[in-house]
Amino acid sequence: MPLVKGGAKGAGDSGDLAPQRPTLASSDAESRWTAARALAGRAEAVPELAEALCRETVPRVREAIMTALMRVGDSASVEAILPCLRSQDAGLRAAAIESLQAMPDAIAPFLPPLFGDGDSDVRLLATELARNMKASEATRLLCDLIEREQHPNVCAAAIDVLTEVGTPLAIPVLERCAARFAETPFLPFAVSVAVARISGSEG
Amino acid sequence: MSGSVVPESRSVHIEQEEVQRFCEFLYRRTGMSFTQGKRYFIDRRLEDRIAATGSSSFQAYFSLLRADADHEIEHLINSFTVNETYFYREDHQLRCMTSSLLGGIAGLKPPGSTIRIWSIPCSTGEEPYSIALWLMENWPQVDNYNIEIVGSDIDTRALKAAAEGIYGERALMRLSRDIVSRYFKPVGDGTHQIDEGLRGSIEFTRANLIDPQDMVRYRDFDLIFCRNVLIYFDDASRRQAAENLYDCLRPGGYICLGHSESMSRISPLFGVRRFPNAIVYQRPEADHG
Repeated sequence: MPLVKGGAKGAGDSGDLAPQRPTLASSDAESRWTAARALAGRAEAVPELAEALCRETVPRVREAIMTALMRVGDSASVEAILPCLRSQDAGLRAAAIESLQAMPDAIAPFLPPLFGDGDSDVRLLATELARNMKASEATRLLCDLIEREQHPNVCAAAIDVLTEVGTPLAIPVLERCAARFAETPFLPFAVSVAVARISGSEG
Repeated sequence: MSGSVVPESRSVHIEQEEVQRFCEFLYRRTGMSFTQGKRYFIDRRLEDRIAATGSSSFQAYFSLLRADADHEIEHLINSFTVNETYFYREDHQLRCMTSSLLGGIAGLKPPGSTIRIWSIPCSTGEEPYSIALWLMENWPQVDNYNIEIVGSDIDTRALKAAAEGIYGERALMRLSRDIVSRYFKPVGDGTHQIDEGLRGSIEFTRANLIDPQDMVRYRDFDLIFCRNVLIYFDDASRRQAAENLYDCLRPGGYICLGHSESMSRISPLFGVRRFPNAIVYQRPEADHG
Protein backbone atom coordinates (compact mmCIF):
# COMPACT_ATOMS: atom_id res chain seq x y z
CA MET A 1 0.00 0.00 0.00
CA PRO A 2 1.62 3.28 -1.11
CA LEU A 3 -0.55 5.26 1.27
CA VAL A 4 1.08 5.99 4.58
CA LYS A 5 -0.26 7.67 7.66
CA GLY A 6 1.38 11.01 8.29
CA GLY A 7 -0.84 13.50 9.98
CA ALA A 8 -0.15 16.92 11.36
CA LYS A 9 3.44 17.93 11.49
CA GLY A 10 5.60 20.91 10.95
CA ALA A 11 8.04 23.39 12.32
CA GLY A 12 5.41 24.75 14.64
CA ASP A 13 4.62 21.52 16.44
CA SER A 14 5.01 23.29 19.74
CA GLY A 15 1.99 25.34 18.78
CA ASP A 16 3.58 28.35 20.43
CA LEU A 17 3.64 31.48 18.33
CA ALA A 18 4.68 33.74 21.17
CA PRO A 19 8.45 33.62 20.61
CA GLN A 20 7.88 35.01 17.11
CA ARG A 21 5.93 38.02 18.35
CA PRO A 22 8.83 40.48 18.70
CA THR A 23 9.93 39.93 15.12
CA LEU A 24 7.47 42.39 13.56
CA ALA A 25 10.41 44.77 13.46
CA SER A 26 12.77 42.10 12.12
CA SER A 27 14.81 42.67 9.01
CA ASP A 28 13.64 39.27 7.78
CA ALA A 29 10.35 39.39 5.85
CA GLU A 30 9.44 35.83 6.85
CA SER A 31 9.72 36.74 10.51
CA ARG A 32 7.60 39.84 10.02
CA TRP A 33 4.99 37.77 8.14
CA THR A 34 4.85 35.25 10.97
CA ALA A 35 4.69 37.96 13.58
CA ALA A 36 1.89 39.81 11.82
CA ARG A 37 -0.13 36.62 11.55
CA ALA A 38 0.37 35.88 15.22
CA LEU A 39 -1.08 39.29 16.07
CA ALA A 40 -4.28 38.84 14.06
CA GLY A 41 -7.33 39.89 16.00
CA ARG A 42 -5.40 41.18 19.00
CA ALA A 43 -6.69 44.65 19.81
CA GLU A 44 -3.75 45.48 22.05
CA ALA A 45 -1.42 44.94 19.08
CA VAL A 46 -3.08 47.53 16.82
CA PRO A 47 -0.55 50.32 17.54
CA GLU A 48 2.32 47.97 16.77
CA LEU A 49 0.61 46.75 13.61
CA ALA A 50 -0.15 50.32 12.55
CA GLU A 51 3.47 51.31 12.97
CA ALA A 52 4.61 48.26 11.03
CA LEU A 53 2.16 48.95 8.21
CA CYS A 54 3.61 52.42 7.71
CA ARG A 55 7.10 51.13 7.08
CA GLU A 56 6.38 47.74 5.50
CA THR A 57 7.43 47.42 1.86
CA VAL A 58 6.89 43.71 1.23
CA PRO A 59 3.36 43.18 -0.22
CA ARG A 60 2.87 39.77 1.37
CA VAL A 61 3.70 41.08 4.84
CA ARG A 62 1.54 44.15 4.25
CA GLU A 63 -1.37 41.86 3.42
CA ALA A 64 -0.84 39.94 6.66
CA ILE A 65 -0.72 43.16 8.67
CA MET A 66 -3.96 44.34 7.09
CA THR A 67 -5.60 40.97 7.74
CA ALA A 68 -4.48 41.18 11.36
CA LEU A 69 -6.07 44.63 11.61
CA MET A 70 -9.24 43.46 9.84
CA ARG A 71 -9.58 40.69 12.37
CA VAL A 72 -9.65 43.32 15.12
CA GLY A 73 -11.98 45.46 13.04
CA ASP A 74 -12.32 48.43 15.40
CA SER A 75 -11.87 52.14 14.82
CA ALA A 76 -8.19 51.96 15.75
CA SER A 77 -7.72 49.37 13.01
CA VAL A 78 -9.42 51.68 10.54
CA GLU A 79 -7.20 54.58 11.60
CA ALA A 80 -4.16 52.39 11.05
CA ILE A 81 -5.11 51.62 7.47
CA LEU A 82 -6.53 54.99 6.40
CA PRO A 83 -3.15 56.64 5.65
CA CYS A 84 -2.64 54.02 2.93
CA LEU A 85 -5.38 55.74 0.90
CA ARG A 86 -2.89 58.55 0.27
CA SER A 87 -0.11 56.24 -0.85
CA GLN A 88 1.49 56.66 -4.25
CA ASP A 89 1.48 52.86 -4.51
CA ALA A 90 -1.71 51.81 -6.36
CA GLY A 91 -1.44 48.27 -5.00
CA LEU A 92 -1.34 49.54 -1.45
CA ARG A 93 -4.30 51.85 -2.04
CA ALA A 94 -6.31 48.98 -3.51
CA ALA A 95 -5.36 46.70 -0.62
CA ALA A 96 -6.41 49.37 1.84
CA ILE A 97 -9.79 49.82 0.15
CA GLU A 98 -10.38 46.09 0.21
CA SER A 99 -9.48 45.87 3.88
CA LEU A 100 -11.56 48.86 4.90
CA GLN A 101 -14.56 47.64 2.92
CA ALA A 102 -14.51 44.54 5.08
CA MET A 103 -15.12 46.70 8.17
CA PRO A 104 -18.29 48.57 7.17
CA ASP A 105 -19.45 49.37 10.70
CA ALA A 106 -16.07 50.57 11.85
CA ILE A 107 -15.46 52.69 8.77
CA ALA A 108 -18.82 54.51 8.83
CA PRO A 109 -17.84 57.32 11.25
CA PHE A 110 -14.75 58.03 9.17
CA LEU A 111 -16.59 58.59 5.91
CA PRO A 112 -17.85 62.16 6.49
CA PRO A 113 -14.34 63.50 7.13
CA LEU A 114 -12.99 61.45 4.22
CA PHE A 115 -15.70 62.88 1.95
CA GLY A 116 -14.62 66.33 3.09
CA ASP A 117 -10.96 65.69 2.43
CA GLY A 118 -9.11 68.32 0.41
CA ASP A 119 -7.68 65.67 -1.91
CA SER A 120 -10.19 64.65 -4.58
CA ASP A 121 -8.38 61.32 -5.06
CA VAL A 122 -9.04 60.46 -1.43
CA ARG A 123 -12.70 61.48 -1.74
CA LEU A 124 -13.02 59.37 -4.87
CA LEU A 125 -11.47 56.30 -3.25
CA ALA A 126 -13.56 56.79 -0.14
CA THR A 127 -16.80 56.38 -2.08
CA GLU A 128 -15.89 52.70 -2.50
CA LEU A 129 -15.91 52.30 1.27
CA ALA A 130 -19.67 52.80 1.30
CA ARG A 131 -20.28 49.85 -0.98
CA ASN A 132 -20.56 47.25 1.77
CA MET A 133 -22.43 49.45 4.19
CA LYS A 134 -26.14 49.22 4.94
CA ALA A 135 -28.08 50.68 2.01
CA SER A 136 -29.73 53.43 4.04
CA GLU A 137 -26.45 54.57 5.59
CA ALA A 138 -24.54 54.37 2.32
CA THR A 139 -27.27 56.33 0.54
CA ARG A 140 -27.28 59.06 3.18
CA LEU A 141 -23.51 59.48 3.19
CA LEU A 142 -23.09 59.39 -0.58
CA CYS A 143 -25.98 61.80 -1.14
CA ASP A 144 -24.41 64.26 1.32
CA LEU A 145 -21.21 64.00 -0.65
CA ILE A 146 -22.85 64.43 -4.05
CA GLU A 147 -24.82 67.49 -2.95
CA ARG A 148 -21.69 69.50 -2.25
CA GLU A 149 -19.08 67.80 -4.43
CA GLN A 150 -17.58 69.92 -7.23
CA HIS A 151 -15.38 67.31 -8.86
CA PRO A 152 -17.26 65.35 -11.55
CA ASN A 153 -15.08 62.27 -11.14
CA VAL A 154 -15.84 62.05 -7.45
CA CYS A 155 -19.55 62.41 -8.21
CA ALA A 156 -19.26 59.70 -10.85
CA ALA A 157 -17.63 57.35 -8.35
CA ALA A 158 -20.35 58.04 -5.80
CA ILE A 159 -23.05 57.50 -8.43
CA ASP A 160 -21.49 54.19 -9.37
CA VAL A 161 -21.74 52.99 -5.78
CA LEU A 162 -25.30 54.31 -5.46
CA THR A 163 -26.23 52.43 -8.62
CA GLU A 164 -25.57 49.24 -6.72
CA VAL A 165 -26.61 50.08 -3.19
CA GLY A 166 -28.73 53.24 -3.39
CA THR A 167 -32.27 53.55 -2.12
CA PRO A 168 -35.03 55.72 -3.70
CA LEU A 169 -34.03 58.56 -1.36
CA ALA A 170 -31.04 59.08 -3.64
CA ILE A 171 -33.11 59.81 -6.74
CA PRO A 172 -33.78 63.55 -6.21
CA VAL A 173 -30.14 64.05 -5.22
CA LEU A 174 -29.02 62.25 -8.34
CA GLU A 175 -31.33 64.30 -10.52
CA ARG A 176 -29.99 67.55 -9.06
CA CYS A 177 -26.48 66.27 -9.70
CA ALA A 178 -27.33 65.56 -13.35
CA ALA A 179 -28.69 69.08 -13.74
CA ARG A 180 -25.65 70.61 -12.05
CA PHE A 181 -23.25 68.74 -14.31
CA ALA A 182 -25.35 68.97 -17.47
CA GLU A 183 -22.27 70.09 -19.41
CA THR A 184 -20.41 66.95 -18.42
CA PRO A 185 -22.29 64.36 -20.51
CA PHE A 186 -21.10 61.22 -18.78
CA LEU A 187 -22.59 62.33 -15.47
CA PRO A 188 -26.22 62.75 -16.61
CA PHE A 189 -25.84 59.40 -18.35
CA ALA A 190 -24.49 57.77 -15.17
CA VAL A 191 -27.35 59.33 -13.22
CA SER A 192 -29.92 57.99 -15.68
CA VAL A 193 -28.52 54.49 -15.28
CA ALA A 194 -28.51 54.81 -11.49
CA VAL A 195 -32.04 56.19 -11.32
CA ALA A 196 -33.35 53.49 -13.64
CA ARG A 197 -31.67 50.83 -11.56
CA ILE A 198 -32.84 52.19 -8.23
CA SER A 199 -36.41 52.94 -9.29
CA GLY A 200 -36.63 49.77 -11.36
CA SER A 201 -35.67 47.67 -8.41
CA GLU A 202 -38.56 49.15 -6.51
CA GLY A 203 -40.82 47.37 -8.95
CA MET B 1 -36.19 29.63 12.04
CA SER B 2 -36.62 31.10 8.61
CA GLY B 3 -33.89 28.98 7.07
CA SER B 4 -35.74 25.76 7.72
CA VAL B 5 -39.05 26.70 6.15
CA VAL B 6 -39.75 25.02 2.87
CA PRO B 7 -42.34 26.92 0.87
CA GLU B 8 -45.06 25.04 -0.90
CA SER B 9 -45.89 27.59 -3.53
CA ARG B 10 -44.06 30.23 -5.47
CA SER B 11 -45.90 33.25 -6.73
CA VAL B 12 -43.46 36.16 -6.68
CA HIS B 13 -42.41 37.27 -10.12
CA ILE B 14 -38.78 38.34 -10.40
CA GLU B 15 -37.76 40.78 -13.12
CA GLN B 16 -34.64 40.26 -15.17
CA GLU B 17 -33.07 43.41 -13.76
CA GLU B 18 -33.73 42.19 -10.25
CA VAL B 19 -32.02 38.92 -11.03
CA GLN B 20 -29.06 40.84 -12.39
CA ARG B 21 -28.89 42.97 -9.26
CA PHE B 22 -29.15 39.91 -7.09
CA CYS B 23 -26.42 38.13 -9.05
CA GLU B 24 -24.09 41.08 -8.58
CA PHE B 25 -24.73 40.95 -4.85
CA LEU B 26 -24.19 37.21 -4.71
CA TYR B 27 -20.96 37.52 -6.64
CA ARG B 28 -19.62 40.23 -4.39
CA ARG B 29 -20.42 38.25 -1.26
CA THR B 30 -19.43 34.80 -2.38
CA GLY B 31 -17.66 34.92 -5.72
CA MET B 32 -20.40 32.69 -7.10
CA SER B 33 -21.15 33.85 -10.59
CA PHE B 34 -24.38 33.04 -12.40
CA THR B 35 -25.42 34.15 -15.85
CA GLN B 36 -28.88 34.53 -17.35
CA GLY B 37 -28.42 31.01 -18.67
CA LYS B 38 -28.88 29.79 -15.10
CA ARG B 39 -32.07 31.76 -14.69
CA TYR B 40 -34.15 28.76 -13.72
CA PHE B 41 -31.65 27.71 -11.06
CA ILE B 42 -31.50 31.24 -9.66
CA ASP B 43 -35.24 31.91 -9.77
CA ARG B 44 -36.13 28.68 -8.06
CA ARG B 45 -33.79 29.31 -5.15
CA LEU B 46 -34.67 32.98 -4.89
CA GLU B 47 -38.38 32.21 -4.88
CA ASP B 48 -37.81 29.64 -2.16
CA ARG B 49 -35.99 32.15 0.00
CA ILE B 50 -38.56 34.88 -0.65
CA ALA B 51 -41.30 32.52 0.45
CA ALA B 52 -39.32 31.13 3.38
CA THR B 53 -38.72 34.60 4.78
CA GLY B 54 -42.30 35.72 4.20
CA SER B 55 -41.14 38.55 1.94
CA SER B 56 -43.84 40.10 -0.21
CA SER B 57 -41.56 40.96 -3.12
CA PHE B 58 -38.07 40.63 -4.43
CA GLN B 59 -37.28 44.13 -3.18
CA ALA B 60 -38.50 43.30 0.30
CA TYR B 61 -36.40 40.16 0.30
CA PHE B 62 -33.36 41.95 -1.10
CA SER B 63 -33.53 44.55 1.69
CA LEU B 64 -33.72 41.76 4.23
CA LEU B 65 -30.83 40.00 2.56
CA ARG B 66 -28.63 43.08 2.50
CA ALA B 67 -29.29 43.61 6.21
CA ASP B 68 -28.49 39.93 6.80
CA ALA B 69 -31.62 39.62 8.94
CA ASP B 70 -31.83 36.23 10.68
CA HIS B 71 -28.57 35.19 9.01
CA GLU B 72 -30.32 35.26 5.66
CA ILE B 73 -27.04 35.44 3.75
CA GLU B 74 -26.03 32.09 5.22
CA HIS B 75 -29.42 30.58 4.35
CA LEU B 76 -29.15 31.94 0.84
CA ILE B 77 -25.64 30.56 0.36
CA ASN B 78 -26.79 27.21 1.66
CA SER B 79 -29.53 27.18 -0.92
CA PHE B 80 -27.10 28.01 -3.71
CA THR B 81 -24.51 25.42 -2.80
CA VAL B 82 -24.78 21.67 -2.91
CA ASN B 83 -24.03 20.73 0.65
CA GLU B 84 -24.22 17.01 0.36
CA THR B 85 -20.95 15.38 -0.50
CA TYR B 86 -20.14 12.17 -2.23
CA PHE B 87 -17.25 10.21 -3.66
CA TYR B 88 -15.52 11.63 -6.74
CA ARG B 89 -17.29 14.98 -6.36
CA GLU B 90 -15.84 17.55 -8.78
CA ASP B 91 -13.72 14.78 -10.22
CA HIS B 92 -12.20 17.13 -12.79
CA GLN B 93 -9.96 18.32 -9.96
CA LEU B 94 -8.98 14.74 -9.14
CA ARG B 95 -8.19 14.27 -12.82
CA CYS B 96 -6.12 17.45 -12.72
CA MET B 97 -4.28 16.09 -9.70
CA THR B 98 -3.11 12.96 -11.52
CA SER B 99 -2.74 14.39 -15.01
CA SER B 100 -1.07 17.70 -14.19
CA LEU B 101 -0.22 18.43 -10.57
CA LEU B 102 1.44 15.29 -9.26
CA GLY B 103 3.77 15.02 -12.22
CA GLY B 104 5.31 18.35 -11.29
CA ILE B 105 5.38 17.56 -7.60
CA ALA B 106 6.90 14.11 -8.08
CA GLY B 107 9.40 15.49 -10.57
CA LEU B 108 11.05 17.39 -7.75
CA LYS B 109 11.24 14.41 -5.40
CA PRO B 110 13.19 11.17 -5.65
CA PRO B 111 11.17 7.94 -5.71
CA GLY B 112 10.47 6.74 -2.20
CA SER B 113 9.96 10.21 -0.82
CA THR B 114 6.73 11.52 0.61
CA ILE B 115 3.92 13.44 -1.05
CA ARG B 116 1.53 15.09 1.38
CA ILE B 117 -2.10 15.81 0.49
CA TRP B 118 -4.60 17.56 2.75
CA SER B 119 -8.36 17.54 2.59
CA ILE B 120 -9.83 20.35 4.69
CA PRO B 121 -12.65 20.40 5.55
CA CYS B 122 -13.03 16.68 5.00
CA SER B 123 -16.54 16.35 6.45
CA THR B 124 -17.39 12.66 6.76
CA GLY B 125 -14.43 11.47 4.73
CA GLU B 126 -15.72 11.20 1.18
CA GLU B 127 -13.09 13.60 -0.16
CA PRO B 128 -9.90 12.16 1.38
CA TYR B 129 -11.03 8.62 0.53
CA SER B 130 -11.83 9.79 -3.00
CA ILE B 131 -8.31 11.17 -3.32
CA ALA B 132 -6.91 7.85 -2.15
CA LEU B 133 -9.09 5.81 -4.51
CA TRP B 134 -8.38 8.06 -7.44
CA LEU B 135 -4.64 7.81 -6.87
CA MET B 136 -4.78 4.03 -6.57
CA GLU B 137 -6.79 3.76 -9.75
CA ASN B 138 -5.33 6.51 -11.91
CA TRP B 139 -1.77 7.47 -11.03
CA PRO B 140 0.80 5.06 -12.44
CA GLN B 141 3.51 6.31 -10.10
CA VAL B 142 1.48 5.65 -7.00
CA ASP B 143 3.75 2.82 -5.87
CA ASN B 144 6.89 4.90 -6.24
CA TYR B 145 6.06 7.35 -3.49
CA ASN B 146 4.82 7.40 0.08
CA ILE B 147 1.58 9.29 -0.06
CA GLU B 148 0.27 10.84 3.12
CA ILE B 149 -3.35 11.92 3.05
CA VAL B 150 -4.70 13.93 5.97
CA GLY B 151 -8.37 14.73 6.41
CA SER B 152 -9.25 17.55 8.79
CA ASP B 153 -12.47 19.14 9.92
CA ILE B 154 -13.70 21.33 12.75
CA ASP B 155 -16.60 18.94 13.41
CA THR B 156 -15.48 16.02 15.53
CA ARG B 157 -18.69 14.08 14.84
CA ALA B 158 -17.93 14.25 11.15
CA LEU B 159 -14.38 13.07 11.83
CA LYS B 160 -15.65 10.10 13.79
CA ALA B 161 -17.89 9.14 10.88
CA ALA B 162 -14.98 9.62 8.49
CA ALA B 163 -12.82 7.24 10.48
CA GLU B 164 -15.61 4.65 10.46
CA GLY B 165 -15.95 5.02 6.70
CA ILE B 166 -19.52 3.76 6.31
CA TYR B 167 -21.55 5.21 3.44
CA GLY B 168 -24.94 4.85 1.82
CA GLU B 169 -25.62 4.26 -1.84
CA ARG B 170 -26.06 7.97 -2.52
CA ALA B 171 -22.51 8.78 -1.43
CA LEU B 172 -21.20 6.03 -3.71
CA MET B 173 -23.27 6.95 -6.77
CA ARG B 174 -20.30 8.27 -8.78
CA LEU B 175 -18.17 5.18 -8.19
CA SER B 176 -18.20 2.25 -10.58
CA ARG B 177 -19.57 -1.07 -9.35
CA ASP B 178 -16.09 -2.44 -9.83
CA ILE B 179 -14.51 0.09 -7.49
CA VAL B 180 -17.24 -0.40 -4.91
CA SER B 181 -16.75 -4.14 -4.99
CA ARG B 182 -12.98 -3.88 -4.64
CA TYR B 183 -12.74 -1.18 -1.97
CA PHE B 184 -15.96 -1.51 0.04
CA LYS B 185 -17.81 -4.23 1.85
CA PRO B 186 -21.56 -4.26 2.54
CA VAL B 187 -22.34 -3.77 6.20
CA GLY B 188 -26.13 -3.86 6.10
CA ASP B 189 -29.05 -1.51 5.46
CA GLY B 190 -27.67 -0.65 2.06
CA THR B 191 -24.50 0.81 3.51
CA HIS B 192 -20.90 -0.01 2.67
CA GLN B 193 -17.72 0.33 4.68
CA ILE B 194 -14.52 1.36 2.96
CA ASP B 195 -11.55 -0.98 2.98
CA GLU B 196 -9.78 -1.29 6.32
CA GLY B 197 -6.39 -0.62 4.76
CA LEU B 198 -7.60 2.68 3.34
CA ARG B 199 -9.23 3.64 6.61
CA GLY B 200 -6.00 2.94 8.42
CA SER B 201 -3.86 4.90 6.03
CA ILE B 202 -5.63 8.24 6.29
CA GLU B 203 -5.13 10.44 9.32
CA PHE B 204 -8.23 12.30 10.47
CA THR B 205 -7.62 15.33 12.66
CA ARG B 206 -9.55 18.27 14.01
CA ALA B 207 -8.48 21.64 12.63
CA ASN B 208 -9.93 25.12 12.52
CA LEU B 209 -9.06 26.75 9.24
CA ILE B 210 -9.01 30.27 10.58
CA ASP B 211 -7.07 29.62 13.77
CA PRO B 212 -3.32 30.19 13.24
CA GLN B 213 -2.49 28.38 16.47
CA ASP B 214 -4.40 25.36 15.25
CA MET B 215 -3.03 25.50 11.74
CA VAL B 216 0.61 25.82 12.78
CA ARG B 217 0.60 22.03 13.30
CA TYR B 218 0.03 21.51 9.59
CA ARG B 219 2.95 22.12 7.31
CA ASP B 220 4.69 20.89 4.18
CA PHE B 221 1.67 19.87 2.15
CA ASP B 222 2.21 19.48 -1.57
CA LEU B 223 -1.48 19.71 -2.38
CA ILE B 224 -4.49 20.95 -0.44
CA PHE B 225 -8.14 20.42 -1.28
CA CYS B 226 -10.11 23.16 0.44
CA ARG B 227 -13.45 23.15 -1.30
CA ASN B 228 -16.73 24.91 -0.66
CA VAL B 229 -15.93 26.33 2.73
CA LEU B 230 -14.37 29.76 2.18
CA ILE B 231 -17.63 31.07 0.74
CA TYR B 232 -19.12 30.78 4.19
CA PHE B 233 -16.56 33.13 5.76
CA ASP B 234 -16.56 36.89 5.94
CA ASP B 235 -13.77 38.77 4.18
CA ALA B 236 -11.42 38.97 7.15
CA SER B 237 -11.79 35.29 8.01
CA ARG B 238 -11.34 34.31 4.38
CA ARG B 239 -8.08 36.21 4.18
CA GLN B 240 -6.91 34.70 7.41
CA ALA B 241 -7.73 31.22 6.11
CA ALA B 242 -5.84 31.95 2.88
CA GLU B 243 -2.78 33.03 4.83
CA ASN B 244 -3.01 29.93 7.00
CA LEU B 245 -3.24 27.72 3.94
CA TYR B 246 -0.27 29.50 2.42
CA ASP B 247 1.83 28.55 5.42
CA CYS B 248 0.61 24.96 5.27
CA LEU B 249 1.82 24.49 1.70
CA ARG B 250 5.33 23.84 0.57
CA PRO B 251 6.66 26.52 -1.79
CA GLY B 252 5.28 25.53 -5.19
CA GLY B 253 2.43 23.56 -3.60
CA TYR B 254 -1.10 23.71 -4.98
CA ILE B 255 -4.52 24.41 -3.56
CA CYS B 256 -7.83 23.36 -5.11
CA LEU B 257 -10.94 25.35 -4.18
CA GLY B 258 -14.59 24.66 -4.92
CA HIS B 259 -15.95 25.49 -8.35
CA SER B 260 -17.63 28.66 -7.13
CA GLU B 261 -14.63 29.93 -5.22
CA SER B 262 -11.75 32.08 -6.42
CA MET B 263 -8.59 32.65 -4.46
CA SER B 264 -7.89 35.69 -6.61
CA ARG B 265 -10.83 37.40 -4.97
CA ILE B 266 -9.57 36.54 -1.51
CA SER B 267 -5.85 37.05 -1.47
CA PRO B 268 -3.01 37.94 -3.85
CA LEU B 269 -0.70 35.44 -2.16
CA PHE B 270 -1.22 32.66 -4.69
CA GLY B 271 -0.58 32.38 -8.39
CA VAL B 272 -3.34 31.17 -10.71
CA ARG B 273 -2.53 28.03 -12.70
CA ARG B 274 -4.80 26.97 -15.52
CA PHE B 275 -4.60 23.28 -16.34
CA PRO B 276 -6.71 21.40 -18.88
CA ASN B 277 -9.00 19.97 -16.20
CA ALA B 278 -9.07 22.68 -13.57
CA ILE B 279 -7.90 26.05 -12.34
CA VAL B 280 -5.82 25.71 -9.22
CA TYR B 281 -3.80 28.10 -7.08
CA GLN B 282 -0.11 27.80 -6.38
CA ARG B 283 2.10 29.10 -3.64
CA PRO B 284 5.05 30.74 -5.41
CA GLU B 285 8.23 28.68 -5.50
CA ALA B 286 10.10 31.57 -3.95
CA ASP B 287 8.69 34.35 -1.86
CA HIS B 288 9.48 37.53 -3.70
CA GLY B 289 7.56 39.54 -1.23
